[in-house]
Amino acid sequence: MGEAAPVAGRIPLTVVGGFLGAGKTTLLNRILAGAAGLRAAVLVNDFGAINVDAAIIGERGGETISLNNGCVCCSIGGDLVDALIRVMSRSPAPEWIVIEASGVSDPWRIAQVGLADPGLELDGVIVMVDGTAAAEDLRNPLLRDTLVRQLMAADVVVLNKRDLAGNSRLREEIGRMVPGALVLEAAHAAVPLEALTGFAAARMLDAERMPSAAPHASHSSQFESVSVAWEGRYSAAHLRTLLARMPAGVLRAKGLVGTDEADASVLQFCGRHGSLRPLEGARAAIPGQVVAIGLAGKLPARALLHALTCARLGEAAVAGARR
Amino acid sequence: MPGAEARAAQTTVFRAKKIVTMNPTQPEATCVAVRDGRILAVGTEAEMDGWGPHVVDSRFGDKVLMPGLVEGHSHLMEGGFWKFAYVGYHDRRGPDGRVWTGLRSFDAVVTRLSEFEREMQDPSEPLLAWGLDPIFFGEQRMTTRELDRVSATRPVAVLHASIHLLNVNTAMLRKAGIDRHTDVEGVARHPDGSPSGELQEFAAMFPVMRAIGNAFKTAGMSDDGLWRFGRVAQLAGVTTATDMLNDWTEEAVEGMARVIGHEDFPVRIVSAYRSLDAPTETEQGLRRLGELRRLNTGKLRFSLVKLVVDGSIQGFTARLRWPGYYDGHPNGIWVVPPNELAGIVERLHGAGAHLHVHTNGDEATEVALDAIEAALARHPRPDHRHTLQHCQMADAAQFRRMAKLGVCVNLFANHVFYWGDAHYTQTMGPDRANRMDACGTALRCGVPFAIHSDAPITPLGPLFTAWCAVNRRTASGRVLGAAERIDVPRALAAITLGAAYTLRMDHEIGSIEVGKRADFCVLEDDPLALSPECLKEARVWGTVMGGRSFEASHG
Repeated sequence: MGEAAPVAGRIPLTVVGGFLGAGKTTLLNRILAGAAGLRAAVLVNDFGAINVDAAIIGERGGETISLNNGCVCCSIGGDLVDALIRVMSRSPAPEWIVIEASGVSDPWRIAQVGLADPGLELDGVIVMVDGTAAAEDLRNPLLRDTLVRQLMAADVVVLNKRDLAGNSRLREEIGRMVPGALVLEAAHAAVPLEALTGFAAARMLDAERMPSAAPHASHSSQFESVSVAWEGRYSAAHLRTLLARMPAGVLRAKGLVGTDEADASVLQFCGRHGSLRPLEGARAAIPGQVVAIGLAGKLPARALLHALTCARLGEAAVAGARR
Repeated sequence: MPGAEARAAQTTVFRAKKIVTMNPTQPEATCVAVRDGRILAVGTEAEMDGWGPHVVDSRFGDKVLMPGLVEGHSHLMEGGFWKFAYVGYHDRRGPDGRVWTGLRSFDAVVTRLSEFEREMQDPSEPLLAWGLDPIFFGEQRMTTRELDRVSATRPVAVLHASIHLLNVNTAMLRKAGIDRHTDVEGVARHPDGSPSGELQEFAAMFPVMRAIGNAFKTAGMSDDGLWRFGRVAQLAGVTTATDMLNDWTEEAVEGMARVIGHEDFPVRIVSAYRSLDAPTETEQGLRRLGELRRLNTGKLRFSLVKLVVDGSIQGFTARLRWPGYYDGHPNGIWVVPPNELAGIVERLHGAGAHLHVHTNGDEATEVALDAIEAALARHPRPDHRHTLQHCQMADAAQFRRMAKLGVCVNLFANHVFYWGDAHYTQTMGPDRANRMDACGTALRCGVPFAIHSDAPITPLGPLFTAWCAVNRRTASGRVLGAAERIDVPRALAAITLGAAYTLRMDHEIGSIEVGKRADFCVLEDDPLALSPECLKEARVWGTVMGGRSFEASHG
C-alpha cells in the first residue's frame, strides 16, 4: 500500500471559491506567475484555462504544469483527495497550497482540511465575486443560498470587476451579510496578495521578537499590525473564546504562546476562523508573541490587548507583574 | 456440403427448460442457436434445423434463460472495495461467490474485523473495511471503543456505505494525526472532547485517506479491482454493466482496455466521462469522446457523458423544490451551477454527445429538463436518449415533460428498500416518499425507463432491483407507494431492454432475438413463475456472454 511521504512542517492552505466567471482563474494565474514570491502549488478545476507566460513553463504534463519559478499547477479532475496527496508529497514541499473550489461548491467544506490534516495549516478562504452578476445572483432563488453559503465561508471577499460594475450597494449588502470578512474591490482580480494571506503576519512573528510587554504597532500603506509579547502562560479556554469572538477589524493573527495545555501552542486566526493547538516538533523561537494585522486605521489594538491580558493565567499573570 | 463440419462447429444450439426472450413477438422458446457470438435463431429444436448442422448443448436443459441482465448505473469502484472487509448491514455476495452475511450489531462488526485482523501478516498494514451503514443502528454510533477491540496497534478504517463517512480506531487516529485539538466540524467527539473515531466528509476524512494512500479509490481502477467488478456482475447474471463516472485518463483507459478486453472478462462495460463544470473540461470531454470512440469494441465502450447536478437525498445534499426537506434540513448543493447547466448541455448535445444526468432532488430534475428542452429547441435531435439518472423525486408533471422531450429515466429502485424508511420518516415525509423512484408513473407517462443499484452504494443485483420495483418494500417491511409498483414482466424489461435502451444498445442486447449478441442470464428458477414477493430469490447459475458460458460457481 502506497503511503504519502511525510510533510515537513505545516503547509499553509488557501481555498479560492466563487462562481464561474468571478475571476478565480485570473487570480490563480497571478499566483502561479510568482506574485507571492513563494513555491506555490495550485490545484485547479479548469486546467485548460491556466495561462502563464510560456517562458516560465518548465514541464507540461496531462495533469501538471511545473514552472521555473518553483510553482506547480495540478488538475483536480474528479479526485481532490488524490490531487492534494500528490502535491503534499512533492519534494521540495510547496510553501503554499492553493485549492480552487469548483464554481458552486462550498469552499468551507474543502478549507477545513487545513484544520484537519497535520501537514496543513489553514491560511484562509478567499471568495471571488463577480461584481457585475452577484446582485442578480442574490435575487435568483436557485443561486442565492449557494452564494450566501460561499460568502459565509469567506475570510476575504474580492468584489471583482469593479471597473465594469460600479455600484456600492452590493458591497454594502455583502458587508452586512458577512460582517467579519474583509471585502476588497478589485479589477482583473488585482488585489495585494498580502491582504489575502497570513504570510505577512507569519513573517512578522518570526522576525519581531519584542523585549517588552508593551504592544508594538507597525504601519504600512494599507495595513497596520500590532504585536503583543508576554512570556507567561495563557488560559487555552480564554484564547479559544477570543478566537471565536475576535474584535472586529482583526484580519489575521498568529502567535506562539505558552498555555495551560502546552508549553508552546500555535495560535492562528484568519478572517473569521481561529485555531489553537499544541506545537508539534521543535521550534527555535521562544513562545510568547502574538501578532495581529488589520486594515490601516481599523485595527482594534486596544480591544485585542485587553482580551489577551484577560486571557493570562492568574498565577503567571502575577509572575509577569513582578518582573 | 463442403465446409458443413466447420460450420457445424461454429453453431451451437442451447436447449433450455424455458427461454424468456423479452421479445413480445416470441415471448418464449426452448432453443437458441448461437453463431459467432450472436443469436442465429430462437424457437423450438425443430426450428433450429433449417440452419444446417449444429451442436446441441443441453447443459441448460433444466434451467431458464433470460437476456443477459443490464446494470444501467454502477461504478467500477464496487470491485475495488472487495479487496477490503465487508461489514454492511445486509447480506452481500463477493466476487468469489461467498455471501457475506449482513452484520446487525457493532459486536458482529468487531468479530468480523477481528477475523480479518488475525489473517494479516504485516502488523503495520492498515485494516480497511467498507459498507457500514449507521442508519440501521438508530441513535447508536460506532466509536473507537468498538474498533480498538479489533486492534490497539494496527490502524483500522471502516468506510460507510455512503462513502462520505469513516470510522477509525485510536491507532488510525494517531497515524493520521487527528487528536482533541483537531478543530473540524466533521470530527465527531466523545463526551470528554476526544475524537470518537467517526470522521465525516472530505476534510475530516482526508488525513486518513492520505495515511492509507487513497486506497479505497486506487483499488477501484486497479486490475484486481476491475476483475472483481466483472465477477460481481457475472454472479448477478449481468452481461452488460455501466461505469457511470470516469475521468478517462490515459492510465484508466489503458487498464480498462487491458482487463475488460481480456477474453475471460465476463461483462461488457459502457463507460461515462465525468464532465465537470469548468468550460475547458466540457471541451476536454468532447475531445476524449472523439479519441476514445476509436477504441470501442464489443466489450468496452466509451460512449456516454455524465453530468452531476446535485447530491444525494439521504445525505441531505439533493436539491429540492418547495417544501424542501421534511425534517427542516436546509436545501442541498449544486454540483454543476444551475445557471451554467443549460450552456453545458447545449454544447454537449449540440456536439452529438449522449448525456446521462444525475439528478436526485426534484429541483435538480427541473433544471436538467429546462436545460435539455432549451438545447433541443436550438439543436433538434430526435432519439437523443438523454437519460436522467436516479431522478428519485420527480413528480408526474416532470415525467410528462420527460415523455414530451424524449428523455429516458433510470430510477434508483433499490433506494426504496435501503432508505425508504428514512425517506418516509426523515427526508421526504410520507407523501413524497410514496412517489419516489416512480416506475408506475414512468410507465403511465410513456417514459422509457430502467432501474439500477448504483453499486457500490447498494449491491449490484438487477433481480433484487426488479424485486424492489415490483414490491416497493422498505427494510422494515412498509410498502412505499403501492401505486408505483410495476408487474414482474415490466420489471424484467427494465433490467434488460429498458437499461439497454438508455445506453443506445437495445439493437444489440436486452432481448433474445435474431441478430443480437448471445448474452444470457442463466437461472435455476423461472422469474415469471415465482411469486412476485420472491423474485429476489431467483437463483443465478451464471451467464453466457457472446456465446461463451460463465458459470457462477467456477472462478
